[in-house]
Amino acid sequence: MWNKFTNYLELAASYFRFNTKAQLEYRTAFISQALAMFVNDCLWLAYFVMLFERFPVVKGWEAVDVATLWAVTAAGFGIAHCLFGNALALPRIIARGELDAWLLYPRALLPHIVLGRMNASAFGDCLFGFVIYVVMVHPDWQHLLLFTLLTLSVALLFLGFSVLSGSLSFYLGNADTLCENWRHGLIAFSTYPIELFDGKCKWLLYTVLPAAYISGFPIDALRKLSLIDALYSFLGALSVVSLAIVVFNHGLKRYESGNMVGMRG
Amino acid sequence: MNCLSKYWAIAVTSAKSNLAYAGEIGSRLCFLGIILFIFMQLWKAIFANANVAQFQGYTLEEIIWYLAITECIMLSSPRVTPLIDEDVRTGAITVQLVRPMSYPLYRLASNLGEQAVRFAVTVASAGSIALLLVGPPSNFGLGLACVLLALPLALVLDFLGYLLVGLFAFWCEDTSGLALIYSRLTMVAGGMLMPLDLFPEAFQSLLKGLPFGYIVSGPARQFVHPDPTGLGALLGFQILWIVVLALVVAFVYSKALKRIALNGG
Repeated sequence: MWNKFTNYLELAASYFRFNTKAQLEYRTAFISQALAMFVNDCLWLAYFVMLFERFPVVKGWEAVDVATLWAVTAAGFGIAHCLFGNALALPRIIARGELDAWLLYPRALLPHIVLGRMNASAFGDCLFGFVIYVVMVHPDWQHLLLFTLLTLSVALLFLGFSVLSGSLSFYLGNADTLCENWRHGLIAFSTYPIELFDGKCKWLLYTVLPAAYISGFPIDALRKLSLIDALYSFLGALSVVSLAIVVFNHGLKRYESGNMVGMRG
Repeated sequence: MNCLSKYWAIAVTSAKSNLAYAGEIGSRLCFLGIILFIFMQLWKAIFANANVAQFQGYTLEEIIWYLAITECIMLSSPRVTPLIDEDVRTGAITVQLVRPMSYPLYRLASNLGEQAVRFAVTVASAGSIALLLVGPPSNFGLGLACVLLALPLALVLDFLGYLLVGLFAFWCEDTSGLALIYSRLTMVAGGMLMPLDLFPEAFQSLLKGLPFGYIVSGPARQFVHPDPTGLGALLGFQILWIVVLALVVAFVYSKALKRIALNGG
């Protein structure tokens, strides 16, 4: 079991090295996309900090809390799609019958596909998350360690969510637009304090749009340095990933080859 | 007249081809509904916590209608930069240049045709959602007349901004990063999330000196607070910025054309 796990970690590391080299072939484009995403996140954060300082949005919330929320969300999203960039392209890959080439690999299909590409702008998100947390929150080492662990939990959740929503293409045909809207919905809810939403809406944020495991438990864990909230975050993320794997493997049985001829280097 | 009719034909063709994808546009409306719901919760909390009936003359209902209009403008904005990127990268621009029409005006006509369809679909849905959330707007007739007058110039101004960014494809490998930053500046500095009147005063004077507010905030403000004097000033500033940006575009375009190299074929 442990050997299998380390084996997959090595696979992920190899893919990361390979994808980084591929991105650096177009160095200017890579840097400009990552930098643009960093600036984009900074603009949003500046707006939200201004909003929370000017108006009493949520009692007890200050600029530092807004920065923490944005840092956790951006870093988690960034790690997920920097390492597993193909997860975002999954609906298109399935709908166009492009899984054929991946099916030939001598391992489980899903890790290969999602690791197959790096998203350049996600690198900017990841950088933004860590830089903003260190610069604006000035964490001690316990907070920084917990923050790092929580970004991994959020990354796991985003990965699971992308796979889960992308797998809809097995059932619906091209679910690209639906996935994009669903993902944007999750991101939109994740960048606001969960306290804004009342009981009727909250159950949605624990299930259909699992933003509670991004903007709820992780933020509480960091504000109170609470390990139990961190544990809830991980449990939520693991549930989403498990469900995603089940739905993907179930959907895979419905997959029909596109007879597309292609080459992968 | 003949000159204008060919651009009119391009706009009509673009509108018709986009009508074929009305379903796809419609699916974006789920996201619009989520965004308006989040804004509703956010501003309800702000009004409740501040215990006031209005901020700078804006009631909760007016803010929701304002946000519905700004969202319509932003969500219906077609992305012209990837098209220019592709034209430059693939060399297709050379085919466009031999046609008896101006390339920027061709893109403008095509863009406006597409945007007209997107805006009509989006505004119908955003209006229904806002109506459901907060009821009908006050001054509906006059507000609608004012926004319809201000909107065409706002769309042309927005197009010129994207065209300018797109023209950098002649110098950069990829303009998607620049387009992202431009888009976020339009959202944040243009007042998509909050009327410019609610920004801190120091920012207000700065933002009113930039073109973004005349694309987003200006028309939306006229919808909720219609004012013939303010409308005159808005149209004046829109024309001024259109002239300025058109001159800059003409200059950059003339420089860009000199970078095209043809090698037979």
